[in-house]
Amino acid sequence: MTREEQDEALLARIGADRIALRDRRRQRRDFGVALLFMAPALVMVVGLLLAPVLCNVYFSFTSWRKFSGLDEFAGFENYTRMFGNPFFGEALGNTAIWVVASIVLPIAIGLGLAVFLRGVRFSDTFKNIIFIPRILAPTAVGVLWFYVYAPEGLLNRALSLVSGRPVEIGWLYQDATVTPAIITTFVWQTVGLVMVLILIGLAAIPKDPIEAAQIDGATKWQVFRHVVLPLLTPTLLVVTILSVLAGFTVFDLLWVMGAAYPGQRSLSLAVYMYFEAFQKGSWAYGSAVAVVIGLVVLCVTWVQALLQTRVDRMVR
Amino acid sequence: MTRWKLALAAGALVMGAPFMAQARDVSFVHDKGFWSEAFQQVDKAAAEEAGVTIVESPYATTEQYKAFIQASIAGGELPDLFTWWTGATFNEIVDSGAVAPLDDVWDELVSSGEFDPSAADFFKVDGKIYAIPLLTARWVMIYNKDKFAEAGITGEPKTWEELMADADKLKAAGITPFNATVHEGWRGFVWFQELMLRTDPEALAGLHDGSVPYDSEPVRNVFKLWTDMYAKGYFTDPRSNEEIEDFARGNAGMYLMGEWVVGSLAANGLATDKLGAFIVPNVDASLPSSVIVEAGPIMVSAASVDDPDVQKAVKFWASSAGANAWAKASGNYTGNLKGEAPNPIISKISEDIAAAHSESVLRWWEAVPPDLQGELVAEFNRFMLDPTMETAEDVMSRMQALNEEYWADR
Repeated sequence: MTREEQDEALLARIGADRIALRDRRRQRRDFGVALLFMAPALVMVVGLLLAPVLCNVYFSFTSWRKFSGLDEFAGFENYTRMFGNPFFGEALGNTAIWVVASIVLPIAIGLGLAVFLRGVRFSDTFKNIIFIPRILAPTAVGVLWFYVYAPEGLLNRALSLVSGRPVEIGWLYQDATVTPAIITTFVWQTVGLVMVLILIGLAAIPKDPIEAAQIDGATKWQVFRHVVLPLLTPTLLVVTILSVLAGFTVFDLLWVMGAAYPGQRSLSLAVYMYFEAFQKGSWAYGSAVAVVIGLVVLCVTWVQALLQTRVDRMVR
Repeated sequence: MTRWKLALAAGALVMGAPFMAQARDVSFVHDKGFWSEAFQQVDKAAAEEAGVTIVESPYATTEQYKAFIQASIAGGELPDLFTWWTGATFNEIVDSGAVAPLDDVWDELVSSGEFDPSAADFFKVDGKIYAIPLLTARWVMIYNKDKFAEAGITGEPKTWEELMADADKLKAAGITPFNATVHEGWRGFVWFQELMLRTDPEALAGLHDGSVPYDSEPVRNVFKLWTDMYAKGYFTDPRSNEEIEDFARGNAGMYLMGEWVVGSLAANGLATDKLGAFIVPNVDASLPSSVIVEAGPIMVSAASVDDPDVQKAVKFWASSAGANAWAKASGNYTGNLKGEAPNPIISKISEDIAAAHSESVLRWWEAVPPDLQGELVAEFNRFMLDPTMETAEDVMSRMQALNEEYWADR
C-alpha cells in the first residue's frame, strides 16, 4: 500500500470523506441561496446592461438601416466609414474639448467655492442656491439658457447695458461661441454637485496635520497646497471620474441649445450618434459610434481607476 | 327568473364571449403631440358617427417616433394606423411590405366625388395608393393685412416685380417685408425651394434625384437672388426662436409658410380675418403656375387592414365627416372636396389654384432623399445666418459634396 492509499484509508476510517461531502453540499446550498438573493440584481444587470451592450456591439457589425439589414453581416464596414468621416472627426474633437472643460472648470470652480464657503456666514444658503440648478432637468436648463443666449436675450441685454451700445451676438449660432456657451451652461448646472462632493471630502480631512502645519508657521496657502490638497486627492479623483463620464455623455443640452446651429450634428460624439441612428435611421452605424464612445470611456476610466489605486496607497 | 336560470345565462355568456364578434380599439400612432387634443376630437367623432373606437398615441419626438415605427416593422407589430411622410421616406416604408395598399378605399372616395384622383398622386408607389391624407397644406405667402395697409399696399402682387415693389413699400414704411428664421433647425429650405421653383422648376426636380448638382448655375442664381434680398433688408433676424409668435406680434408684413400656420397664428393672437394669402409669383414670368404642397399621409398596417374596425376607421378619416371633425379641431385641411375648408385662407388658395391651374410640387423636405435632408437643411441655415455670396459658394460646395457622396453608390 502506498503512502497516499494509506492516507485515504485513514481518512475513510475517521469519516472525513463524509464530512467533506457534507461541506460541499452545504456550500452548494449556500451558493444557491446567495444566487437567489442576487437574482434580482443579476437579472437587472444582465437584462438592462450587458444584453443591450452585447446587442449594440452585434448591431455595429451589421448593415441595419431603417427597415432592413439586421441579418446582413457587414464586418468592420461601419467602423471604416466612421473613421473616414470628417463629421466624426469634428465630433471627436468637440468631445475632447467637452471632457477637458468638464473636468477643469467644474472642479476648479467647485473647489474654489467649497473652500470659500467653509466658515462663511449664511454658507448653507449659498450652498443651496448653488446646488439648485443640479436638481433641474437638463432639457429644462437648455430651454432656459436658450433664451439667455438669444439675440435679444438676457446676456446680450446685460452686455448692451454695460457697453452702452446694442449687442446682438448669436451665441448659439456661431462656430466660435456655440461650444463655450453650452459649456458655461453645463458648468452652471454641475458645479453645485462638485462643490458638495468636495465639501464632504474637506470635512473628512483630519484636523491634526493642518494644526501641526499651522504651528510650524505654514501660511494658509501652504497649508492648502501641501496638506489639504494631497488629502483631498481621493475625492478629487472620484469627482474627475464623474466629470469625465458627464463630459462624454452630455447630450440633452447640446440637443436643445444647438437645435438651430448648422453644425449641431458634430457638437459631440453623443449627438453625432443620435443624429446618425435616430434621424437618419443608420442603426448599425450609430451602434458603431456608440461602441467607440463606450471603449474610449472605458479606457479613460480605467486609467483613472489605476491612478486612484496609486493615490489611495500614497494617502495610506 | 330563478337563480339557476340566471347562473346558466351568465355561464352561457361567458362561454360564448370568445365566439361573439368583438369590437376592437383601433390604434393610431403619430409624432404630432401638438395635435393630440385634435386627434382625440376626431376619435370622439369617429365613435359617435362611425361606431369605431380609435385610440391615438403621440410620440414626443420625431426621431423616437421613426425609431418606434422602424422597430415595429422589424418586430411585425405595426400599429393599425400611423402618420408618416411623403416622398422618398414614403417609398422606403412601402418597400418594407408592412403597409397596405388602399386603392379600394380611394376608388370609393373618387366615385363619391369626395376626392380628385390627383389627390392620391403623392401617395402612389408603382401605381398603387398606400395612404389617405392627414393634411394637404399649400405653402403660400401669408400676409398681415394691417401691415399692407400701413405701407399703402392695396392689392396682392401678381408678378415677381410687384412682390418686390411691395417689399420696398413695406421697407419704406419701417416694416420688414419677410419673416424667416432658422428656428428649430428645419426651416432653411423654405425660401430656397420657393426661389428655385420660381426661377427653374426643372433644376429643382433635378436636385431631388441627383441629376442637377447643388453647385450648378441655377442654384447659384437662386443664392444670388436670395443674397440680394438679404442685402436689401427684406428678411427678419434669422436667429429668432419665436418665428410664429414674432409674426403674430407684427414683426413683418409677409410670411412664407404652410397654410397650417394660420391656426398657429390665431392661437398666438393674430386673427385669421387679419390675414391674407397668395401664391408666390414666378420670377421668370414665362413659367407655368405652381404651388408647393405638403401632403401628410395616414398609413395602414398590412396585418390589420382587413379588420372591419380598421376599415371603418380609415373610411371615417377619409370621409367628409372625418375631414370636418379634423378641420374643426385642428384647422387642417385633408383635401376632401365635400369637406368644409377650415378657414377662409384655405378656401381662397383653393380658388386661386383652380383659377390658375397651378401644378402641385412636393415640398423639398419630403422630395429630397431622407439621408440628405438634415445635412442639407443645416447648410441652408448656415447661409441664412451669414447671407453673403462667399458663404453661399461654400454652402453650395459642401452640399454638392454631400450630394455626390449620397448618389455615388446609387
